[in-house]
Amino acid sequence: MLTLLKLLQSLLKTLHSEGTPHQVAAGMALGAALGLTPLMNVHNLAVFAALALLNVSFGAGMLGWALATPLGFALDPVFHRLGLALLDAPGLRGFWTWAYNVPLAPYTNFNNSVVLGSVVGWLLLAAPIYAAARVGVVRYRATWGERVRQSKLYKAVTASQLYNVYRLFRPE
Amino acid sequence: MARRLVRWKAVVPLALVVALVALLAWLFAEPVARDTAEEAASKALGTQVDLARVRLYPQRSGFALEGLQVADPFDSTRNLLQADRIDVKVDPVALAEKKLVVERLRLEGIRLGERRARPARPVAGEGYAKTLVRQLDDFRRRLDVPLVKLTPLDTLRQLALDPGQLGTVKAAKALLAAADSSRQAVTRRVDSLRFGPLLDSARALADSVGRLDPKQLDVATAARLVQRVQGQVKAVDQARARLAALEKEVRGGVQALQAGVGRLDAARQQDYAFARGLLKLPSLAAPDLSRAMFGPVTIDRFQQVLYWAELAQEKLPPGLQPRREEGPSRLRMAGTTVAFPKERHYPQFLLESGQVDLTVGGSSPLAGAYRAAAQGITTEPALVGVPMAFQARRDAPGTAVAALEVRGVLDHLGAVMRDSVLVTARGVALPAFRLPGLPLTLDPRQGGAQLAFALAGDQLRGRLVISAPAVGWSPDTAGATLNDLERLVVRTIARIPSLDLTAELGGTRTAPTLAIRTNLDEAVAASLRATIGEQVAKAEARVRAEVDRLVGEQQAAARQRVAAVQGDVEARLGLERGQLDQVSARLDQELKRLAGPAGGLIRIPKLKL
Repeated sequence: MLTLLKLLQSLLKTLHSEGTPHQVAAGMALGAALGLTPLMNVHNLAVFAALALLNVSFGAGMLGWALATPLGFALDPVFHRLGLALLDAPGLRGFWTWAYNVPLAPYTNFNNSVVLGSVVGWLLLAAPIYAAARVGVVRYRATWGERVRQSKLYKAVTASQLYNVYRLFRPE
Repeated sequence: MARRLVRWKAVVPLALVVALVALLAWLFAEPVARDTAEEAASKALGTQVDLARVRLYPQRSGFALEGLQVADPFDSTRNLLQADRIDVKVDPVALAEKKLVVERLRLEGIRLGERRARPARPVAGEGYAKTLVRQLDDFRRRLDVPLVKLTPLDTLRQLALDPGQLGTVKAAKALLAAADSSRQAVTRRVDSLRFGPLLDSARALADSVGRLDPKQLDVATAARLVQRVQGQVKAVDQARARLAALEKEVRGGVQALQAGVGRLDAARQQDYAFARGLLKLPSLAAPDLSRAMFGPVTIDRFQQVLYWAELAQEKLPPGLQPRREEGPSRLRMAGTTVAFPKERHYPQFLLESGQVDLTVGGSSPLAGAYRAAAQGITTEPALVGVPMAFQARRDAPGTAVAALEVRGVLDHLGAVMRDSVLVTARGVALPAFRLPGLPLTLDPRQGGAQLAFALAGDQLRGRLVISAPAVGWSPDTAGATLNDLERLVVRTIARIPSLDLTAELGGTRTAPTLAIRTNLDEAVAASLRATIGEQVAKAEARVRAEVDRLVGEQQAAARQRVAAVQGDVEARLGLERGQLDQVSARLDQELKRLAGPAGGLIRIPKLKL
């Protein structure tokens, strides 16, 4: 229930935040990495840090994560094939061999087909996600935004305690 | 107002989050390491591996495994190995590359073959080990151990054979069909060559040229005629080449049919054995009796050694090619993890050199102090450059196992992997076992055993020698009355005070052979021959006659059909070849006649085919 409420808050705050469409879209593109790629991997620590430190919408990042997670599961077979094709590519063999024998690099699990495929998949999808989110936010704010802001539901959600936590990561 | 790129006020909360993650990692690192190690080891060994606890000692780059249990892949109720504690010191530089180079290894409280509290679960997923277990089941079936049959002989029993059950009948029918289709195929192929029009036009040209007088021809006409004849000769030669190619192909087909005829004899031998089996006739051959009595227990030993050898060849392959493995278990798809070994770098796993003094405690026959050594045990033998070797020995006179020595070499450096192991035990309390098909349990008591096994590429070589000077025999008569034959065999065997068994494994993985000789087989065979030899011989003659009656006609028909097809095909091809040769000779003759009087005016170019 709390997760659902948090997700709803994220959605509303994100769409109505003072953040620019660019910040919201960048947050969603970054957050998508957490959902598209297997979560417990080193690269996601970097993504999370970027999401928190960069002046992008953190709420949009959480929303991107939530929306991309089911997509990540669904696309796993595609990511596996993509990753395996890259790991098997004769032209990249020297690079993988080098990276595999560099200290700490193997802990990124780059040599797992799903991890590599999903990271590459996310990099390929990041720009389309950014563009689509930006257009979507602009249109939403121009059409539905004000009506929703005046609704009771919006006011109730934003009044909850979780909103205070969210404010810490609100775009400036 | 220009927006800042970095949100500095989030640094503190982020640092708190990172600290929380680090705290969770510190709290849960050991349980996670235990789960990961259990999963990886279970997958690699194809059997359940349990760990009570993993302790991490980052300050001295080491860890300890506590309460290790490795289930026996062939007996889920037992553990192959148990260890109270294994202390491992690893190379920290290699660990930075996520590689495990073991510098020091210490084992405590090793126990072998102990009964498990709960039976082992089958390993989840479809890993190599599971495939291997299935392959070894096939290996066992291929060794085809006969059964000891000691049911009462009933010489009057009717032998009800259904021709449909006999392999010779099936093979003969298949051969008849193959012969017919071969004949039709050859006819179609020869017809498709369409030599008729070519022969007609060649003959017509030869006839028309033959009617001309070369002396009456001017040079130009003669040259034109020569050219036409040459063209025809060329076409005929090409036809002959096509026919030759077809002949070659057809001969291959005919040879296959003849091989089929040869296989009918082998099928008939199998049918004799099948029919013999229906009458439940006991085998009176000494090697068969040994294989029947000691085959299963011998194959068990070889099968277990072969399992570990095959697993070693799969997991410790030669060369430095990238290696695929199933990825880790997680909610998301596991995927495939690829390792990229590199020259002059650390292998993924290496036990450089270890001297291990270990003690097997408890009341097990194997209890005692062992000295074990291992060298160069690695997942990438090519990086280490020397064959992997291990040995363990124990001397404990007066115990259940007076001496035990295990030596093994895994040479995975070349393209052909060579693994060998030699296990020698003296003064062993050998386990008792029931002789299959006989109401008798053999207790070998104290004895000696040696198991030598080698796997080189696909070639298997194994030898198991068991020597027990004072055995005990216990008739297993509970709830059953023995028939005359069983009583005879039990009496014969029970008089033999010792057991000397030699089993030889040979052949390949897909076509293994097993020969077993014991000091029992001749005695049992002789007593059976003396008692029922005549009856068995009569019954066998009846079996052969019945099989011959049912399959003779079919086999003869198949032979005749193949011979007929061979004759027909040869005749048809001979006819075509003869016609082509004949017309070719005629054209050559006319060519010479045309060129002759021209006195060298017409140069006949050599034909290039």
